[in-house]
Amino acid sequence: MQLKLLSRLSRGDAPWLQGARAGFVAFLPLSVGLIPWALVVGMAMTSAGFTPAQAMGMNIIVFAGTAQLGTLPLIVDGAPLWLIVATGLALNLRFVIFSAAIAPSFAGIGTPMRWFAGHFLTDGSFACCYEPMRNASDPHWRLGYYLATGLWSWLLWQSFALIGIHAAHLLPKTWSLEFMATIALIVLLVPMAKVRPMLVAALAGGASATLLRNMPLRLGVVTGICVGIAAGFAAEHWQEKKDD
Amino acid sequence: MTDELWLWLTFILLGLTTTLPRAGFIVAGNRVSLPPTLQRALRYAPAAALAAIVVPDVLVVGGELAPLNPKLAGAIAAVVAASLWRNPWLPFIAGMGVLLALQKLLP
Repeated sequence: MQLKLLSRLSRGDAPWLQGARAGFVAFLPLSVGLIPWALVVGMAMTSAGFTPAQAMGMNIIVFAGTAQLGTLPLIVDGAPLWLIVATGLALNLRFVIFSAAIAPSFAGIGTPMRWFAGHFLTDGSFACCYEPMRNASDPHWRLGYYLATGLWSWLLWQSFALIGIHAAHLLPKTWSLEFMATIALIVLLVPMAKVRPMLVAALAGGASATLLRNMPLRLGVVTGICVGIAAGFAAEHWQEKKDD
Repeated sequence: MTDELWLWLTFILLGLTTTLPRAGFIVAGNRVSLPPTLQRALRYAPAAALAAIVVPDVLVVGGELAPLNPKLAGAIAAVVAASLWRNPWLPFIAGMGVLLALQKLLP
């Protein structure tokens, strides 16, 4: 312990700073992918009729591009609040899995900091942090690594969304910019659907939501999500049976 | 309740649907964990949810199924671009390009 402390002092930098530097360097190239995504979400919120203050409010409070884009059409349609929230929850459920997976790497870190850190758990930061944090013993190094990726994502996300919010006004209405939001959802979906059961989940979810589109209160979306989850799960079991 | 208030209430509730799933297990630490079966089933939620939003959006025009429409062509172009290349801008360029070109050509 004393030896470790000594080597720390001799190297000069605090462990959290070393961690933060390592996290930032690893995350920087990945984080470029956030830029078009933030621009599109910003433009989509403006196209949906939000004022810049409302759009930035949503961007800061919700801080989840997929849930923002996915719930926008429901908000614009005046869908009931519970349905908007249920859809947002479905789109964010993956974070439950990320959170459970990364939780052991927060050993030695206090509860208030865990709440704060949790807010910044994005797809990108999870992908970048999971392995390095699992393999590091120093909690300060782990926290530094994690927060560097999380806070950098946040900063990029807010800045480019703000640019998108203001850029939307510069482009003519006939350009169907709201379609950018659909494309952004497709960009997220395509890599997921490369796994067979995931493709089944998507096809079943998409098909049932389309067939059930006339259900009241846009219930077809939630029903479609449930059908999709069940179909994906069933496909996974079927695939395992076949492989045995 | 005014529309403005309703909108901000929506944002706050949506914010909870982001932060609670993200922070939940990190805060609960090692004390709690999800049953593995539920974890496996939940992995399909995002793909199912994304498709449930996107597919009706590109297949339905004015409440009717329209298998041939510029939005669907644009979506297919975006799927192709996203599957073949890693460039993050390309699906947007391809999808918007096809959509706008077809809207111009087919009045």
